[in-house]
Amino acid sequence: MELTMSTLLIYALHGLVYGMLLFLVASGLTLVFGMMDVLNIAHAAFYMLGAYFGYTVVLATGNFWLALIAAPIAVGLLGALVERYFLKKVHIHGHAFELLITFGVFFVIGEVVKWVWGNFPRPMDVPSALAGSIKFIGLTYPFYRFFILFFALLVLAVLAYVFFKTRLGMTIRAAVSDTQMLSALGINVPRLFLYVFSGGAALAGLAGVVAAPFLSTYPGMGLDMMVDIFVVVVIGGFGSIMGAFLASLMIGELQSFGILFIPQLALVFQFLLMALVLISRPTGLFGEKV
Amino acid sequence: MRNSTPLRIVIGIAVIVLLLFAPRVLTIVQIRMANEIAYFALFAVSYNFLFGYAGLLSFGHASYFGLGAYTTALSLKHVAGMPLLASIALGGLVGAAGGAIIGFFCVRRKGAYFALLTLAFNQFLWATAWKWHKVTGGEDGIGKFVPKSPLNLGIATLDHNQVEGMYYLTLTVVLLCLAAGWYLTKTPFGNTIKAIKVNEERADFLGYQVNRSKLLIFTIAAFFAAIAGSLFALFQDFVATSSIDLGMSTQVLFMAFLGGTGSFFGPILGAVIYVYFTDWVSSLTNRWEFILGVLFILLVLYFHRGFIGLIPTKVKAIFVTQKGS
Repeated sequence: MELTMSTLLIYALHGLVYGMLLFLVASGLTLVFGMMDVLNIAHAAFYMLGAYFGYTVVLATGNFWLALIAAPIAVGLLGALVERYFLKKVHIHGHAFELLITFGVFFVIGEVVKWVWGNFPRPMDVPSALAGSIKFIGLTYPFYRFFILFFALLVLAVLAYVFFKTRLGMTIRAAVSDTQMLSALGINVPRLFLYVFSGGAALAGLAGVVAAPFLSTYPGMGLDMMVDIFVVVVIGGFGSIMGAFLASLMIGELQSFGILFIPQLALVFQFLLMALVLISRPTGLFGEKV
Repeated sequence: MRNSTPLRIVIGIAVIVLLLFAPRVLTIVQIRMANEIAYFALFAVSYNFLFGYAGLLSFGHASYFGLGAYTTALSLKHVAGMPLLASIALGGLVGAAGGAIIGFFCVRRKGAYFALLTLAFNQFLWATAWKWHKVTGGEDGIGKFVPKSPLNLGIATLDHNQVEGMYYLTLTVVLLCLAAGWYLTKTPFGNTIKAIKVNEERADFLGYQVNRSKLLIFTIAAFFAAIAGSLFALFQDFVATSSIDLGMSTQVLFMAFLGGTGSFFGPILGAVIYVYFTDWVSSLTNRWEFILGVLFILLVLYFHRGFIGLIPTKVKAIFVTQKGS
């Protein structure tokens, strides 16, 4: 393949788009971990459910925007149920069981998806309003990918606003650094956990809907996403939104250019990067907690 | 507890004799199932070295099972005159080497980090097996590698191409490994591992080499898992990516938890239950994996000790050495 400037730019854009998608999913995961000390393996399953719910809503109503609202709400509610009835129950038994229960939920959701939607891909059309491609500085690029990019940036902006400018955000940040102190100050920490867990699930669901027309919906999409976001949080450092953001972009670009230059080894790169980070900075680039 | 030792030996011998004569009364299908249970039991016990003994929750134990399976298959396929037993040993060694390398990265981290690192490395190996079509055959796998000539043991020959012969081969290797594993848990090293599980910081202050011990138990667990994988490969005479995927890692986790992770024998019971349960449920419904997942969630929620927890304490006391005895 001839390496022109435009090819490089296209691949850089590919990486950016996928990186932003990764960030949408990883941000919820890293927040929940920072606060509750729980690695939610089911998080990737929430992403997958979001995509499938979105698919079904679009199939039934033909309205992508409705799917963009309804699917995350449904996934968020499911997340609340998981937190309230599963996670909380095993909390006293320690870390391992929290991991195991979220793993069990991941497994069961995966089976339910195969059951309800079939064990094969369900391609979702790009909504007509966002179809087509646009031309700029001499190259054409699918419009929908730009939409993902800007939508993710919008979500990021909203998140940043909530996080840094509102009382809820302040409480969440406080909870990440010291839940016990927060509880002593009279904040209802269990309820806060419930909100954040549910919110993280909804965010993953939202990412799922946005991803569906781009990456298609298929039963293995949860697992594929899980591995990538795990690599992201390890590199970025658990609990760090900033770390998740930078690591997401890094992995996105790495995968994109990896496929361009050495397709056979594309997958190896991110693991090499992860191993490198682990050796040199075991807590990740922005992580403080061990 | 000491006076139960003779009884334990008698029961142990009785079980082994029973296993040796089982093929005389079992049907072909049942022998094959027993064979499957045998290598899965070893696999589950090796998993429990990590979780039950060292408190390390791994989601990637299929890595080593798969490494063993692929090594055995590839060495028999490509190396002319490769002895069968040597291919099993080679599988175990490659698995152990893989465990040492991956463990080096994983044991530095605790809890959730450890868990997801094991999972990530598992996915990496799986993707390698899947993509490296030239060597592993990708999705199509590798088949027909088991040599046709019977195994010459010097004093006798064992025809592993017969269902019974394969059963005896598997059983012997598994029992030897289990005995070695059982012995290991009784050594000072075994106690160190248990001490690290109970309180890592204290063990560290007492002067134990925490990370080195964890890496060693990780490597040993990988070795036994790889041997189980080699036996799996020989039994199936076929290896594909399913031997190294997350599904296999999930399977061993389920087995260990079904039986109970609190004792050496729990995972063996778990393997028995798992093989029979999946055989039974999959004959009733296609959704057996869903049912298995729900069962697993219920176990984690309400029934941590697994099915071995159902056995009355007095009976269990015969098998389980209580702490401090």
